[in-house]
Amino acid sequence: MDREILRRLELLNQLRLTEEEKQTFLEFFNSKKSNLEALDNAVNTQNVERMVHVMPVMTVVREDVVKQPFSRDDLQRSAPETDEGYWCVPRVVE
Amino acid sequence: MKYETVIGLEVHVELATKSKIFCSCSAHSYGAEPNAHVCPACCGMPGMLPVVNKRVVDYGMKAGMMLNCHINRTTTFDKKSYYYPDLPAAYQTTQWFAPVAVNGLVEIETSKGKKSIRIKQIHMEEDAGKLVHDIREDTTHVDFNRTSVPLIEIVSQPDLSSAEEVEAYLDRLKNLLRYAKVAECEMAHGTMRCDVNLSVRPEGSDKLGVRTEMKNMNSIEAIKRAIEYETARHIDAIEHNTEVLVQETRRWDDIKGKSFAMRSKETAGDYRYFPDPNVMPVVIDDEWFNSIKASLPEFPEVKRARYINEIGLSEYDADQLIKSIAICECFESAYAECGSAKDSANWLLSECMNILNSRQMSYDMLDVDGKALGKLIKLVSEGKVGRANGKKILADMFDNRDIDPETYAKENGYIVSNDTSLIEKVAKEAIASNPRAVNDFKSGKEKAIMALFGACMKQLKGNCDPNTLKEILIAEINKI
Ligand SMILES: [Zn+2]
Repeated sequence: MDREILRRLELLNQLRLTEEEKQTFLEFFNSKKSNLEALDNAVNTQNVERMVHVMPVMTVVREDVVKQPFSRDDLQRSAPETDEGYWCVPRVVE
Repeated sequence: MKYETVIGLEVHVELATKSKIFCSCSAHSYGAEPNAHVCPACCGMPGMLPVVNKRVVDYGMKAGMMLNCHINRTTTFDKKSYYYPDLPAAYQTTQWFAPVAVNGLVEIETSKGKKSIRIKQIHMEEDAGKLVHDIREDTTHVDFNRTSVPLIEIVSQPDLSSAEEVEAYLDRLKNLLRYAKVAECEMAHGTMRCDVNLSVRPEGSDKLGVRTEMKNMNSIEAIKRAIEYETARHIDAIEHNTEVLVQETRRWDDIKGKSFAMRSKETAGDYRYFPDPNVMPVVIDDEWFNSIKASLPEFPEVKRARYINEIGLSEYDADQLIKSIAICECFESAYAECGSAKDSANWLLSECMNILNSRQMSYDMLDVDGKALGKLIKLVSEGKVGRANGKKILADMFDNRDIDPETYAKENGYIVSNDTSLIEKVAKEAIASNPRAVNDFKSGKEKAIMALFGACMKQLKGNCDPNTLKEILIAEINKI
């Protein structure tokens, strides 16, 4: 983990880290990295099928039926701002 | 130097389900109030779990089979992360590692002949919401009605090489998916959307050039213009060093007729796909797989061959009919009702097409009850209703599917009269008020009778057998 990767992670996660936080993250990730490398060297994962879930389960599906148990007002009650049925967010285009 | 264009397409198609992909909200919000069809799941409230809509998997599989794909019998969903207010959970649930269908093949035909286009994969995913920027200047308004509406994305290999091929390919996709009744595929309605990946290289080279992705084309015409523009831009850059090509996403502006690089912030894309722990794998057992296989429609080419070889239609008629499943279905039930394939094809390809054209509707929008059309064709061919009145009834049938042609003809006075005394009376009146036409006819100008014929038909409101009328007219003239 170097500063360039950290900068990219900051951008992708929409974070702005202080210099102190950056230092903490770098130390944290670099210490974990050696753990992962140890695992990588110890276990041969070639020809092992991709594991999607810990349990060998499959999904249940539902029939294509429309239900509308929630009202818009219920859902928007916790919103900081709404307008004519819309949620309002900070403007994303100029 | 000669160049060739290398094009791959990513086509998003909205599936025609009733409810959304992971929740039971309605998937149809045309004309609905903003956020009328939302629930805690599709507006991204924490802790909500998705439940897969079976019909989405049915349709995903069916689309895969229509495009000759291999179906992954264990198919899984993954999270694609990006931050934008149209995506309330900050990730899109899509398929990355094991999409429902892979390795397909679609055959297209252009002026240069037939060509096979390879399909890389078809994956199922949820749509994003809609952002509205023009209600107020200080905020963006968010509508989640479209969020989680089911889509499939059909990803082709870079096997296309011209705007003409792209058009043929999109037409073919639309045709096949509509035959299978899994999607509407109407670009004007946003139920089919297309991103174009394009690069240019010297003809014959096997090395790919710098690739750009273009978004925001809203019609086939816009796609064709965008391809032509982008091809020219690439060639210019290579030949004249006008600019340095970089791999990027560009936005097509159809009004300016140009593509523009999207801001790097928007394209900082590193989607960090990972298996969605909230959706277990979808396992398609033999029974499920076979039931979908058995529900596939007759393919257009098979239909064409049957129309020509078994029903006896001309190649031209068959080619026209198979362009749209709506036309085929109407044709088949009309034919079953009236027993004449030729008449059924004619009524569809001329009369129905004329009405569609005059109303600026596409083939696929035909919504006439085929059985009723068959009854109408029978009424006209048996001489019970005149052809012109038959067309009037057909136009009314476009507006009202419940019209029974015979009842309607009776109620509106469209039934041909066998009352010869009435026809004779009308003929005499026409002769009396058109002496010139009568003289012309008598002096050998046979066509002159058409003026009299037309006047009589108008008087009789078209409800007269044309041959009977002609005979009576000639008989009456000869009496003079
Ligand atoms: Zn919902």
